[in-house]
Amino acid sequence: MDQALLDLGEYISAALSQEVIDFEVRHDELMVRVRRDNLVKVAMFLRDDVNCQFKQVVDICGVDLPERDERFDVIYNLLSLVQNRRIRLKVATDDVHPVPSIVSVYSAAGWYEREVWDLFGVLFADNPDLRRIMTDYGFEGHPLRKDFPLTGYVEVRYDDEQKRVVYEPVKLTQEFRSFDFLSPWEGMLPGDEKATAEPAEGDKGEGA
Amino acid sequence: MAETQIKNLTLNFGPQHPSAHGVLRMVLEMDGEIIERADPHVGLLHRGTEKLIEYKNYLQAVPYFDRLDYVSPQNQEHAFALATEKLLGCEVPQRGQYLRVLFAELGRLANHSFNVSAYAMDIGAMTPMLWAVEERELLMEFFERVCGARLHMAYFRPGGVSYDMPAGLGDDIYAWAERFPQVIDDLEGLLTENRIFKQRSVDIGVMTAEQCYDWGFSGPNLRASGVPWDLRKAQPYDVYAKMDFDVPVGKNGDCYDRYLVRIYEMREAIRIVKQCLEQMPPGPVRVDDRKISPPRRAEMKQSMEALIHHFKLYTEGYHVPAGETYTAVEAPKGEFAVYLVSDGTNKPYRCKIRAPGFAHLQAMDFMCKGHMLADVVANLGSLDIVFGEIDR
Amino acid sequence: MGVDPTSGGAPLAPGAEQDAVLYQVTESLKEKGFVVAQLDKVVNWARTGSMWPMTFGLACCAVEMIHAYCSRYDLDRFGVVPRPSPRQADLIIVAGTLTNKMAPAFRKIYDQMAEPRYVISMGSCANGGGYYHYSYSVVRGCDRVVPVDVYVPGCPPTAEALVYGVMQLQKKIRRTGTLWR
Repeated sequence: MDQALLDLGEYISAALSQEVIDFEVRHDELMVRVRRDNLVKVAMFLRDDVNCQFKQVVDICGVDLPERDERFDVIYNLLSLVQNRRIRLKVATDDVHPVPSIVSVYSAAGWYEREVWDLFGVLFADNPDLRRIMTDYGFEGHPLRKDFPLTGYVEVRYDDEQKRVVYEPVKLTQEFRSFDFLSPWEGMLPGDEKATAEPAEGDKGEGA
Repeated sequence: MAETQIKNLTLNFGPQHPSAHGVLRMVLEMDGEIIERADPHVGLLHRGTEKLIEYKNYLQAVPYFDRLDYVSPQNQEHAFALATEKLLGCEVPQRGQYLRVLFAELGRLANHSFNVSAYAMDIGAMTPMLWAVEERELLMEFFERVCGARLHMAYFRPGGVSYDMPAGLGDDIYAWAERFPQVIDDLEGLLTENRIFKQRSVDIGVMTAEQCYDWGFSGPNLRASGVPWDLRKAQPYDVYAKMDFDVPVGKNGDCYDRYLVRIYEMREAIRIVKQCLEQMPPGPVRVDDRKISPPRRAEMKQSMEALIHHFKLYTEGYHVPAGETYTAVEAPKGEFAVYLVSDGTNKPYRCKIRAPGFAHLQAMDFMCKGHMLADVVANLGSLDIVFGEIDR
Repeated sequence: MGVDPTSGGAPLAPGAEQDAVLYQVTESLKEKGFVVAQLDKVVNWARTGSMWPMTFGLACCAVEMIHAYCSRYDLDRFGVVPRPSPRQADLIIVAGTLTNKMAPAFRKIYDQMAEPRYVISMGSCANGGGYYHYSYSVVRGCDRVVPVDVYVPGCPPTAEALVYGVMQLQKKIRRTGTLWR
């Protein structure tokens, strides 16, 4: 399986040498990193080429990596029923530069792109219907970004005087409790006097 | 004669409508009774599952998958469990795999019996619902016996299943599986050759194979259009490779074929259930790795180490090596997949849920164009829409 | 179920006592052509005997709600028959997670119902957000939007639990019911 995927990766990157940045095979899955500008051409090739025939776009999703310059990855999962293969395309972008829409190639991409726009704020050029899809009418922000708080900014309540449902800033009786389990053995707890000691000490206690 | 201005009628369908299968709002633009454009508004059940999963550790994320497609909860967990196992690189023992396939197929039966009868109810038949829900009630008893919950099982966990079957359950399931085809016959007797049912469903919402590819169809909806594609056959997971079953395929891709495919899938699922029960070997049901699966309670009373493992597993959870995977299963509604990105910590970095219904519902506009208003309900019912998974 | 003017409105269990009351009522009807009872008791009896709920299935709990309506649990025997229109309904069972996007629509449906109207909040999501309490898009309890009469706990509550909840609501109506709320 791995060799076949590697061959396919080689084949695609040879045919689209201008568009493909690199590819890798991990966990029996082929991932191809693609330049943003010619995405439509790549999709068209993958759909129509005899050796690819990725006729279905099964999923489009975003991933937010705030530490990167181009903070978003848009991920396209394509499926070829004839070859019984899957391929994953990765396109990097930020919140200003739009990704070309592939609705002209796959009709199913329309809603998936809407969803990525709604949840991440990634723009898609030429999507005919780029409205919000999941979140509330009039929602502000893009909830799946890492800097968006889990509980959001507004909550609703019925107001007896105005006789309608009103939006108010979130007030929680108990905050969401998130425990940090990452430190105890590998590093030091914050506030621990040993944390400021020489780094060599951090190595002991590996036996956890 | 003066020219008259004709304006399309806009009709708001839902968000509270008995045949909307949940909370769908659809804005229909109509010319008389002909649909010109259908604009489904989803998200009325958007609960932020994907965001919440990023804040929970892997084990705590499992029950969210039950609550996606709540008609067949196990199958969703199956995808998440497989994805996590792929990143962890662990192999589930044989008995665990058989148990998963067994309950995944029971979930398929629960889903299809519910969908077929709800679809019949949408287009005017009351009785199938009453019969099928009684069978679901029996299935739920099995679920309750194996994991303690009627609906949201949280039974398939990364590394296996949570418990082994209690004594006697296998025999009871087998006896039920022997009897259930009779109920399918009864349902078919009411519907398959029923004139009203056929008038409402034959040649309604026809999708060709090419259109199905284009719109990202999967599962029974794709097979009804004549594409023999089933992930259980094409990319088998767990012990599906050892199972002997057929993949029913439709001819015309209309609502009636989608109904028939589901009926025949139920019969095939019964075959798989029986094979699982016959072939199931004894043995452990979870991986024997204390860093992933908890120790037995009896062990905890004796061993300090077991107690520590238990404590660590239920507070910190396990750390999953960094990596990403797209793992799909053949859920009753179609290809259900999880795109899981791990950054090496005990919580998923990103967990995208690929719901089959999302792609199906998207095609509503395409399918309904030119149909009558009443066919919207038939199309919707035959696509098998559940909002928990579409809106997430 | 007979309405005994002396029994304070609580229903009598089937048995000799109930038979006696029924006999008394039938005899009275035969003889005089009418029965004398307290008006509020009769009204409560009528209300509890035909509580028509709105089919308001939002999420997972809707499945259990459907199971409660169907053959095995058969809510029909309590006079609970699902209605698709809020105008015909006395009761709304909030079965599932109420989201911010749904809240205005839900309130509108509630406003369309005729008095007296009752609300059963079914499942932990409707009771207080439950598993989704900290989500950015979920109403933390449907009592933020409508007044709730009975809370049914569980995730989801079993069909049995919902039947019990309906019976609790009947009890509540009998206990506190007046001619108008």
